[in-house]
Amino acid sequence: MRIPTLRILFGKKASAASPPKDRSSVRVGIPKVLNIWSTHQFWVGFLTALGIAPENIVFSSDTSEEQYREYGKGRGTVDCCYPVKCMSGHYGELIFGQKKKIDILLSPMIYSLPSFLRGHVLDTLTCTRVMAGPENIKAGFLKERDVFAENGIRYVSPFVSLGEPEKVPKQLHLALKDVLDLDEEETARAVEAGYRALEAFTQKMRQKSREILTWCARHDRPCILVLARPYHMDPGIGHEIEAELQAHGFPILWMQYLPIDDDLMQWLFGEEIRAGRIKSPFDISDVWPSSYSSNTNEILWGAKVAARCPWITCVIRFSSYECGMDQPTYTPTQKIVEASGTLYFKFGDLDATKPAGSIKIRVETIVHYVEKYSRDLIRRKLAALPPRCPLLEDAAPTSESASLAA
Amino acid sequence: METIQRINHYTAYRPRPFTREERATVTILFGGLTWKHERLIQGVLHNLGYKAQPLPNITRADLDAGKELIDVGACCPTIFTTGNLANFLKSEMAVLGRDEVMKRYVFLTAGACGPCRFGQYHESYTMALDGLGLRDFRLFLLAQNQLDQGATHGGGLEINLPLSLGLIWAILCADVLTDLEYMTRPYEIVPGETDEVLRESIAYLYDVFRNRPPEKLCGGKLKVFAWHVLTDYFTDALREVRKRWDAIRVDRLQVKPKVKITGEFWLQTHEGDGNYNIKRWLEQEGAEVIPPPIAVWLDYLLHSPITSEEWKGAERNRKKIALLRAVEQIYHFVYNRFRKALGNLPYELPDQEELKHLAKPYYHYELRGGEGHMLVGKALYAYRHKKAHMICELSPYSCMPNTMSIGAMANVLGRYPDLLYAPIEVKGDAEVHALSRCQMILTEAKRRAHAEFEEVLAKTGLTVEAIRRYEERHPEVQRSTYRIPHYGYAGTAANYVLHLARKMR
Ligand code: SF4
Ligand code: SF4
Repeated sequence: MRIPTLRILFGKKASAASPPKDRSSVRVGIPKVLNIWSTHQFWVGFLTALGIAPENIVFSSDTSEEQYREYGKGRGTVDCCYPVKCMSGHYGELIFGQKKKIDILLSPMIYSLPSFLRGHVLDTLTCTRVMAGPENIKAGFLKERDVFAENGIRYVSPFVSLGEPEKVPKQLHLALKDVLDLDEEETARAVEAGYRALEAFTQKMRQKSREILTWCARHDRPCILVLARPYHMDPGIGHEIEAELQAHGFPILWMQYLPIDDDLMQWLFGEEIRAGRIKSPFDISDVWPSSYSSNTNEILWGAKVAARCPWITCVIRFSSYECGMDQPTYTPTQKIVEASGTLYFKFGDLDATKPAGSIKIRVETIVHYVEKYSRDLIRRKLAALPPRCPLLEDAAPTSESASLAA
Repeated sequence: METIQRINHYTAYRPRPFTREERATVTILFGGLTWKHERLIQGVLHNLGYKAQPLPNITRADLDAGKELIDVGACCPTIFTTGNLANFLKSEMAVLGRDEVMKRYVFLTAGACGPCRFGQYHESYTMALDGLGLRDFRLFLLAQNQLDQGATHGGGLEINLPLSLGLIWAILCADVLTDLEYMTRPYEIVPGETDEVLRESIAYLYDVFRNRPPEKLCGGKLKVFAWHVLTDYFTDALREVRKRWDAIRVDRLQVKPKVKITGEFWLQTHEGDGNYNIKRWLEQEGAEVIPPPIAVWLDYLLHSPITSEEWKGAERNRKKIALLRAVEQIYHFVYNRFRKALGNLPYELPDQEELKHLAKPYYHYELRGGEGHMLVGKALYAYRHKKAHMICELSPYSCMPNTMSIGAMANVLGRYPDLLYAPIEVKGDAEVHALSRCQMILTEAKRRAHAEFEEVLAKTGLTVEAIRRYEERHPEVQRSTYRIPHYGYAGTAANYVLHLARKMR
């Protein structure tokens, strides 16, 4: 079972409000990289609300070595983590690899993120490389000559604080007004539509995860939680390691879409809140005081959930080679997860090439351990929680999630 | 019903408090800047009744210790500073024992800067403490953007205006003196004289900060603030320092390329093994270094909120913007007073708006982390204003923001192919590779320095011999504190010749 995230639902576009100006023939290309993986529905919702035809919103393909070789080679300006380095291939594919040319290449500099942890943490910023990645990558297409202009493409890279919705209309209006002939009001409406689309998508994903957890609870079966950055969902970045585990029959959850319903949160964290250890289920100050980075915060929170939720008996952690944000979190995350005996396996240093051999061996090890220890782990973790589990009180899972879980 | 079995969930490090009563017995450890800055900061802390001591200067051994104690993949400033603290504590433990070390010391470090690892340094520190069996050692973070945080961490440390202004004033004084040091040493006639006078000056300024008059540090905040801004106490001290520097004689006819150092905050500020002693190395290779003042970073911190408020709408935020601007102007006023007290020899602060404007096509000014857009802005500023022949950007291996701005610099170099730019990746243990890379670009910078010197000689019709004769008749021009105006040439020698030519006329 796979949580259908961006890759699977890519075709589904949010519904458009009636467009004030005819932009239906404008083609916009978006490099499918970094935090586009967690905000794609915002961009789709936003652009369609402006009257861009859904079929004219083009995302680059999943990352691959071929993509980089064919479109990005020689355009890298510095050596760094692969999720940023591969962006040249995505840019190149959108510029050179489209049958129908795009008019605009939209590569937002996402400064902060909408996060369910906002208000409970110090900030929800993106990694400095995520926010500045476009400035770095564009240099490879401008340093000798303006490749965008040569190909008749307008390059637009709005600086956007998605974590502060009140700022976004102005930011996007300033960046896009000339290219799309926008006025402030329609931008504001489109931004709202974007947030609505993103929220609806996220809700749906969380509901699916809840159904999967409910299925596990009812059948006393373990599942595996992936702790990773959103772009590890990209098969070229995360190398689909979780799919190999899934093939052994273990349901997989991604931390980004864990359910956050109050009943479940109270069941997992209520006692600690009452004891004054934390202020809310989303308070991570007990484990991570420097909570500035959105994706990092969520990883730490996911680790806390994994340590408590009985049916999550195993965590797999993905991390890209040379990831500076992950580095300080390795030990705390492992300690958080393992405090309750939950199994923890890290796939670090992920790079361009899939280390198929070592993945295979490690997957076998993980399967062995999960099979061997899950029953006991579930029991032990259940014994540490209040008796009434809201998941067991849920209505029977829908046929869709039952079949997904099966 | 099964009984609830407790699970001992992981919790992050939380230091036990450092109380007011402990002030007399507990020493505050700090570090991360140059020995000059640290000594003056120590003066400020001593002045306020704290026991305080900077950590020993960074060495290669700190890199090894840091690597052993924290997870792999950290940036080199994190590794060096963690190793530095760990090595100091280890050496103290060997003498005093574990319990006594935990009782006698606390460590204070700057933090809370958001998106990059700088905001997470203490995670590495605490990991190192765990590794040393010092989980109970006390480590505190000082937010760098709040001047008045009150009594924190149990009351032992009170972050109030006398402390914060003292720290800023100490940093600014050390900055202007560092400028003087680097513009003098390469030209000194008596080897070692600059360093000696520098040591004396810092010792003298330590006393100045150590003896800030207590009656000026109490009373209302406004009074304390006004005294710091308007007093002659610090400027008189700097004038006194200047007199000592008057005695140093220099030979500015030595043609040297000017190399501006930029880069990641810690790495560019540092003087020692942490950056392969690159500033000294450059001097030995015949360059004049323009050191990076911390004052520019503080200016950046002050200016950023103005930009943010203006973005929100100047109309709505007029009062707030005016206040922020006033603070910025006062800051510049203070820095310029310090410069003036040293004969206007230290470099002026670059205009933050100009840095932003110059960087704009390449790197957005709101991108945070590291030095943000300033790396691009400073390089272009030095290039456009002919302040240096070459930029040497120190970039820590695996630094997140720096890799991004270095990438963006490719675009800058595409447009300005004659900008000499040497991005040096510093791992801490790959010195030969880094320095030889720098050497290559330095060779071209030297060629340019010589070319402009010859050009000026030709233009003025002067010869080296004629200048020497003039120097004999006018020994004041050979004083290290004799100011040579900037005539649009990067090199000191070229500007010197032009200046003398004008005087001779
Ligand atoms: S979070 Fe890590 S992998 Fe992602 S862009 Fe930042 S440094 Fe690279
Ligand atoms: S700016 Fe770079 S080197 Fe400095 S703390 Fe941040 S990541 Fe590390």
